[in-house]
Amino acid sequence: MCVLARVFEVAGLTTLTIAMVREHAEKVKAPRVLFVPFPFGYALGKPNDAPLQHRVIGAAIDLLQREQGPVLEDFPEEEAPEALLQASGVPHVLPEAKQDPADEVTTLRAFYERWLEDHNGRTAVGLCGIPQRRWRGVVRFLESYSRGEGADMQERPADVPVPQFIRYCVDDLKAFYYEARLTQRPNASESEIHRWFWGETAMAQLIRAVAQRMNASDNSALKYFAYGLSR
Amino acid sequence: MPRLLTLSEINRKAMLSFPCLEPDSTPWSLLRKPLSQSKISLVTSAGLHLRGDKPFIGDPQGGDTSYRIIPSTTQAADILQSHVSIGFDHTALMRDLNVTLPIDRVRELVDKGIVGSLARHYYSFMGALRNPKPLIETTGPEVAGRLKDEGVDLVFITPT
Repeated sequence: MCVLARVFEVAGLTTLTIAMVREHAEKVKAPRVLFVPFPFGYALGKPNDAPLQHRVIGAAIDLLQREQGPVLEDFPEEEAPEALLQASGVPHVLPEAKQDPADEVTTLRAFYERWLEDHNGRTAVGLCGIPQRRWRGVVRFLESYSRGEGADMQERPADVPVPQFIRYCVDDLKAFYYEARLTQRPNASESEIHRWFWGETAMAQLIRAVAQRMNASDNSALKYFAYGLSR
Repeated sequence: MPRLLTLSEINRKAMLSFPCLEPDSTPWSLLRKPLSQSKISLVTSAGLHLRGDKPFIGDPQGGDTSYRIIPSTTQAADILQSHVSIGFDHTALMRDLNVTLPIDRVRELVDKGIVGSLARHYYSFMGALRNPKPLIETTGPEVAGRLKDEGVDLVFITPT
């Protein structure tokens, strides 16, 4: 977000910016930019690696010594990025006797609760505003939507359109699954977790079906929301 | 991220064709005090907000240019992400908020006396905007004004 640095600097604030796309930072000419060669989602290097995070922040702080800009410096430590897997990159191998996604949620709940305990209550779940005891209803809503039945939920706030509400529900479900799996397999790589979710869960199959339904519409806004569910 | 060379063809093209401002000059405000006496704030484009605050919205036209206020005393458990992009790995932030919003790291810098103090508030926008104009003209200057009012000297800006 190099443009913000420019806005702040015009107002008299000193800024240090971390950039992940060097080509964009170069064009925008923000005052002091540290380019980091990490995958998207890893701006400060790695989760739970405080020394590395401090080295990144320290390298940015060093840019305060410069007297004129634009300054665009490269962080010297390189991580071989692991390609982010999208749904289309993972074949689905769920057996014919497909599990009900709502039952799947139930079987994962114990792991998710352990995640909460292990992380002092920190969770990425919480966008749709529906308590988890009513998630069976969310699953039925998504199923109904995927069949083209004009589904809706009474819990949807009036100012949140259905496709946006679906996005919040799906983000919560994904976060629940990922956190449960990260608890089950704490040492699994990111790509193993993505492969499991998109390849082996009934929930991913349902999310694909919802996205397919949106994509089948002529409405470009719906296609936009489909793109954010599964691609 | 990643060097563009390491991206898939389709991602690389999307990145290269992303609309960017291309100005000729660079605004420049020198830090007027030693870092050890400066007040720092964090601003992120990661689409973060307080649990219970209004999530960011998907806008197929230009993007959501609004911002959220996060008190600097907030615990990681009370911060959520509603960024519309799925082009980044969400598992990193699930494991550790500091990988995007280094709340514990900056606190450590203040405790060590390297940085003077923390601002009362941090601010969050959502990146991947196709039309940053409202941000440049309205919400960006608004946050700049808030930062100035709080006596902030230095802003550390992080993406996701």
